[in-house]
Amino acid sequence: MSEVRCAVRATATRRGPTTDSGAHVNGFCQECLDAAVAAGASYADVRVTDTTTQSLSVRNGVVEGVQGRTSVGFGVRVIADGAWGFASSSDLSAQSASRIGREAVAIARASARVAAPPVELAAVRAARATWSGLCAIDPFTVSTDDKLSVLLAADAAMRAVKGVALTTGSMEFLKGRKTFASTEGAYIEQDWCESSAGITAYAIDQGEVMSRSYPNSHGGAGFQGGWETIAALDLPAEAPRIAEQAVALLTAPVCPGETTTLILDATQLSLQVHESVGHPTELDRVLGDEAAFAGTSWVGAGDIGKLTYGSDIVNVTADATITGSLGSFGFDDEGVPAQREHLVRDGILTGFLSSRESAAATGRTSSGAMRADGWNRIPLVRMTTVSLEPGSAGTLEDLIADTDHGVYMETNDSWSIDDKRLNFQFGCQIAWEIRKGKLGRMLRDPDYTGITPLFWGSCDAICSESEWSVHGLGNCGKGEPMQIAHVAHGAAPARFRNVQVGVGR
Amino acid sequence: MIPTHRAQELATALLEAAGAAGSDQAEALVVASDDALTRFAGNRIHQNVASTDTELQLRVVVGQQVGVASTNATDAAGIAACAASAVDAARRAPADPDFPGLPGPRPVVPIDRVSAGTLTFDASARADAVAALIAPTSLAGGIAAGGIACQHSLIAIANSLGVSVAMPRTSLRATVLSTGAAGGTGWASFTNKDAATLDAVGLGAFAADTAHRSAGAVDLAPGDYTVLLAPEAVADIAQFLAWYGCSAKSVEEGRSFMSGNVGQRVVSELITLVDDALAPEATGMTFDYEGQPKQRVVLIDRGVVIGPVTDSYWAAKTGRPNTGHALPAPNSEGPLPLDVEIAAGDADPAAMIASVKRGIYVTRFHYVNIEDPSRQTLTGMTRDGTFLIENGELTRPVRDLRFTQSSIDALSTTLAVSRERALVGEEAPVMVPYLLLEKFAITGQKSRQI
Repeated sequence: MSEVRCAVRATATRRGPTTDSGAHVNGFCQECLDAAVAAGASYADVRVTDTTTQSLSVRNGVVEGVQGRTSVGFGVRVIADGAWGFASSSDLSAQSASRIGREAVAIARASARVAAPPVELAAVRAARATWSGLCAIDPFTVSTDDKLSVLLAADAAMRAVKGVALTTGSMEFLKGRKTFASTEGAYIEQDWCESSAGITAYAIDQGEVMSRSYPNSHGGAGFQGGWETIAALDLPAEAPRIAEQAVALLTAPVCPGETTTLILDATQLSLQVHESVGHPTELDRVLGDEAAFAGTSWVGAGDIGKLTYGSDIVNVTADATITGSLGSFGFDDEGVPAQREHLVRDGILTGFLSSRESAAATGRTSSGAMRADGWNRIPLVRMTTVSLEPGSAGTLEDLIADTDHGVYMETNDSWSIDDKRLNFQFGCQIAWEIRKGKLGRMLRDPDYTGITPLFWGSCDAICSESEWSVHGLGNCGKGEPMQIAHVAHGAAPARFRNVQVGVGR
Repeated sequence: MIPTHRAQELATALLEAAGAAGSDQAEALVVASDDALTRFAGNRIHQNVASTDTELQLRVVVGQQVGVASTNATDAAGIAACAASAVDAARRAPADPDFPGLPGPRPVVPIDRVSAGTLTFDASARADAVAALIAPTSLAGGIAAGGIACQHSLIAIANSLGVSVAMPRTSLRATVLSTGAAGGTGWASFTNKDAATLDAVGLGAFAADTAHRSAGAVDLAPGDYTVLLAPEAVADIAQFLAWYGCSAKSVEEGRSFMSGNVGQRVVSELITLVDDALAPEATGMTFDYEGQPKQRVVLIDRGVVIGPVTDSYWAAKTGRPNTGHALPAPNSEGPLPLDVEIAAGDADPAAMIASVKRGIYVTRFHYVNIEDPSRQTLTGMTRDGTFLIENGELTRPVRDLRFTQSSIDALSTTLAVSRERALVGEEAPVMVPYLLLEKFAITGQKSRQI
């Protein structure tokens, strides 16, 4: 066991083709596949995954947590008797390889007792390749002291603002390596690095809790990259601004209930894309595979080229090739190469996020969107970088200047959407009224609600490419057992007409 | 899965390695698990998975500096590396002057929560049960989806002050979503430590019947309505109350509905909220992640806020007793109640329906999220069995509704609480009754298919 584990670890920082240590992994993978085939699998793949993470958190000037974590293991996915089975273990011994291969087949045979027609997979060329994500400064070579000093400086800057009651800050770093092999002949090694950070200031008074975050809420912003991405955020420099806004929100008027024009900043718009375009275009949801948990979709498998998703300026892409994005990779967890395609073009549905199985069920090829969040999970259809493409409305200032009356909202606070991804409601941290082309009073507790195609149909302006940016999102939950995917969304601020804001007021 | 004695050996080895690496105090956590899940959709099994893992975690203390490391490498080299990483993390972390040190040993109540029926519930048994869950729906021309999850887990905790506890558990959760031929949907779920108690045929039939009755749903205008919430829906309210409002940390920081309200009545006197890991129906551990015994804690007593749960850190910081509700370190949530229940009332669900002139029956909610933690303002959708109550009877199905409602305000209008309760959920299931609430804000509705 330890020999293989050490081999996997030893390659964790290496970039490039397989060497001697990689040969051990190759042999281990082959043992898994051989055992599965010998037990009766008509198809099998194996993923050996090794991750190292570090998380740091501060709260009110105190270091709340410094934690390191390593996890290594493998999973074998098979088709036997026309049905799926999957087994996994953290024991990387040769005996374990054979046992897990056989167990996966036994599970598949149990599946076949309650199965539909045999599983079919869309064809893919069996790749033998390596891929490495971008990482200029390995965050695990940066001292914990240096990381904490940035968080503590930002924390102190927030607490220096009178009226701030609570401050939090966090960083998380991940370095991963995975090897994929299949009975079709694929053998792919990939390694990557992720970094994320964020800070939040809270102002609290008499039961009112106001929060402001930078660069985003819910843990901040995530990147595929190294320490350079966190250094570029300059958390301490932005801390006073969000702290002052949190305090100001305590005495700001509540966002009134009305139907009005809404402008969203790029971070909130990213989550709007995620929930109301990304998830509904996951083909497994469309086909009903997530019906009992996350739900299905208002989109039908036969709607390609026919369904009006939004106004004709709405273009949404799924792109797993954007350098530095959390949604990027070389190959998905079925060995399908990373791709870019339009999900929505000129307002019309044109594509899906798909797997080999779901693509075959609809006569398509896989879009390469199968991702698992660890060695002990099967891959599911997940988002890559799903983006609202930029428009031509200029800067955010230009867009506000072009708006006579409405509300501008920033930074997500809460989200909820129905099981078909139609009726949604989002809360934001902060808003300002728009009056005659200028931002007016700050508003607290802003929220808005809508129906997906009506909302996107009301989009009449999207800011230009200069305002477009990619926002990593590290908390996308899906599936049972729950898997957390790291995805991303590109967006520029955009305007929507006749939106209900201030729900229930 | 490794046996209990092996988990305790690993915990001991972690503590020895921490001492050798230079820790003043150390706490070892070993989490072992055998998980299996059979999911079905479209009347067929489409995902069927199993996983075995052993996770080791070490919290070390150097002075008042604390560091944590974890790994699933259980050999000597992996343990030594984990200890070195934890000690290094502690030495890098500035001292926390409020850190009280690790807690010492206290007696823990042993309860057997392992069921042989679950241990032997293998992939074949799960497939048979899935077939039974699907049958009532498929026979009626509909489509069923859901899953059966089985877990056998073991948690062992030891620290350098003499704490040494371990507890294996089993659990089963079965769910079924039935979509009828006419488009209505129905839902049923079951949670228990013993897979042998699963009535798959009955569960499937309940969901299929609800789906049949849900066909032809009608519109309903937004507004305040009287609602009868079934246990699945009440579970969401109870969990948000517990997780966002009943930690000593959130209370101390002013983010909780309890903040400034201890001793005050905040909801109806019909509502009592308790955390009790020792209750016979509970499925959790009888100790927390510091190895401290879980106490029964009354959070809300007949509408009056009593107080939150604590762990060793927040007990020392706030001067409250340690109630034994620590989560694995480090965590940003502080202590949390994980075995929550709402006390039973004296009403019968049928009588509760009969008492309503006009209202809404809610089977369950979907995608609930919190907009205001201090008022517990929640938004979400109803799903899989929403019906009008008219003149004391369930009448027409209603298309899924969006609500935006403070649960504190809603619970203040509680009209009745049922005797009957159900255990709902998977990770931290809650024991909850039906609740009849006089006023509940409906703010939207799922659109008709566009």
